[in-house]
Amino acid sequence: MTKPIHSLALASAMALVGNLAAADVTLSVLIDNNAETITAFDALTAAYTAAHPDVTFETEQRPGGADGDNIIKTRLATGEMADVFVYNSGSLFQALKPEQTLADLSALASQANVVDSFKPVVTSQDGAVRGIPFGAAMGGGIYYNIPLYKELGLSVPHTWAEFMANNAKVAAAGKVAVAQTYGDTWSSQLFVLADFYNVLQADPNFAADYTANKAKYATTPAAMQGFAHLEEVFKAGNLLNPDFGAAKFDDGMHMVASGEAAHYPMLTFGLGTIKQNYPDLVNDIGFFAQPGEDAAHNGLTVWMPSAIYVPASSKHMDEAKGFLDFIASVDGCNVMIKAIGATGPYLIKGCELPADVPPSVADMLPYFQTAGLTAPALEFLSPIKGPSLEQITVEVGTGIRSAADAAALYDQDVEKQAKQLGLPNW
Amino acid sequence: MKQRQYINGLMALAVASVIFIVPFVYIFLMAAKTKQQASTLDFSWPQEWHFWANLVEVVQTRNYMLLLAYFNSTVITVGAVTLLVLFGAMVGYVLQRRPSAASRLVFGFVIAGLMIPPAVVPTIWVLQGLGLFKTLTGMILIQVAYGLSFSVLLFRSFIATVPRDLDEAALIDGAKPWQIFYRVVLPLLKPVTVTLIVVQSIAIFNDFTNPLYYLPGKENVTVQLTLFNFQSQFQSQFNLLFMNILLVTIPPLIVFIFFNRQIVAGMTAGAVKG
Repeated sequence: MTKPIHSLALASAMALVGNLAAADVTLSVLIDNNAETITAFDALTAAYTAAHPDVTFETEQRPGGADGDNIIKTRLATGEMADVFVYNSGSLFQALKPEQTLADLSALASQANVVDSFKPVVTSQDGAVRGIPFGAAMGGGIYYNIPLYKELGLSVPHTWAEFMANNAKVAAAGKVAVAQTYGDTWSSQLFVLADFYNVLQADPNFAADYTANKAKYATTPAAMQGFAHLEEVFKAGNLLNPDFGAAKFDDGMHMVASGEAAHYPMLTFGLGTIKQNYPDLVNDIGFFAQPGEDAAHNGLTVWMPSAIYVPASSKHMDEAKGFLDFIASVDGCNVMIKAIGATGPYLIKGCELPADVPPSVADMLPYFQTAGLTAPALEFLSPIKGPSLEQITVEVGTGIRSAADAAALYDQDVEKQAKQLGLPNW
Repeated sequence: MKQRQYINGLMALAVASVIFIVPFVYIFLMAAKTKQQASTLDFSWPQEWHFWANLVEVVQTRNYMLLLAYFNSTVITVGAVTLLVLFGAMVGYVLQRRPSAASRLVFGFVIAGLMIPPAVVPTIWVLQGLGLFKTLTGMILIQVAYGLSFSVLLFRSFIATVPRDLDEAALIDGAKPWQIFYRVVLPLLKPVTVTLIVVQSIAIFNDFTNPLYYLPGKENVTVQLTLFNFQSQFQSQFNLLFMNILLVTIPPLIVFIFFNRQIVAGMTAGAVKG
């Protein structure tokens, strides 16, 4: 008679302990310190805690850039990583040794919601998907000032020649045709990187050949175009803003939004800066993909968003995966859109953008709606990206180095990195 | 002659004020601007004065993170500088007064400490092994380890200027070794101690990378890390960033003004007291 009672007591005690343990789960979260990331995560964690009162969150921020890379690597190496963290996808993801440090998320239920084109950029060498997308995809292209385009009677260019013709008209009207901001060296790379859709049109195997050391920038005419465009814009003499050598990214966004400049080559996240500093100018900027040689093949080079990962060392693996399931669901996506709006399409199936997106986002959407009009940037297709590209593009953009010379130099720069990664055939 | 000196002095003062005061004025003006105006980074007069609003916003950000950061930074700075002065003086004293094979070996390690750069991940492993990772104690010990070589060198060379006769006189009067150190030598080290306190407390208070890597965690912020609340890779709120810089600059400034008198007093009191 006593035995059943014992086991009953034991069972209820265990249930009690179980409840207590469940109530105790606090997931630590490590995110970058971009204002949008913070706002989005505040909303996501609040919504998840409301639905699952047993899970609470402790959010920690880290800097971006090189310091952020070091923090992520250090904390993964020492087993001190938070239960959930945000980090770049693509080649930076591969540098984390994902097979050893990150949890396998292939079996996550919500992977079914994730757009297929995203999965390769968070798949480790062994074929396991280890991340889910966070935030909106970005396009690399050219921002333009809508009122200025109307005033001068210009239309959105579909070839590089049309773009240069527009530039000449803008310059003749006494405005800055192309804003460049080499004070932030990274912003100098856009003409080269955003041209990659056009490279792929001319040479569909470029990424694979490039990784295998068969194709080079200097010997592939289509790939050379990016450097050549950069040179051309400088050589034209009257297209750039006078302070292009010292201006910063913020200045560039301000110039194109206020109509001081007609064009600014940039990634679409630049809209966030306009929203913060000049909210009344948001509707004055539009966006188009970097035009290539052929109007029939006009498409957009796309940067995949960051991803959310769970480290293999996490002590709350199940809860962390539950949280990720929520983020990658349509509900989670809507929570994010409500919190930070949309600077581009979210890579979750069935997650619709609101109708009142700013014009530069609306300009970007048609590329995504037709298959084949977008291509990922090279850094998502190949692990190789030379560390000195931004210095080289500044040299070309300021006329110090010729385009041909720069392409050859970049090929050398890339070689060091390929050897470090231990790629075959280098 | 007198007039030329006057003019020279005035010019030196003008140059010094341009170098030291202009950046500070820039920080102050930026801190008072609106978000929009600050984003252009001009050296201009604020169109609207938002000084108080910015101040309140910076202090309140992330649940009063700045106040916690002040506390953490103060604990780390005071703790580390105290240990640095104490151990630096002790080791420097022994190394200078007792030349032997052992002290030369120890001195070799001190020099090595200056030359060999520290590695982050192994240091974290050591801290994890000791259970000190993510604690203020661990951070203090790291700052002591990084600064000790410099302190020992400074003290050792200064102690060389203190005559040995003083030690011997105290010994003949019947002082024990620790009495000689604490009662005779340490008071004479005041000038160099003040120098060390100023140099190290500013370096430790302003240290950014070490707390970034060795002191992760929400509760473990230091003042320099709060700057990242307003600066990110693509978007920065420059008005709040400069307000934060202003607030972070004030404590070392106060320390410096306070110790400025002490430095002068310490220099003149370098002679033996009766």
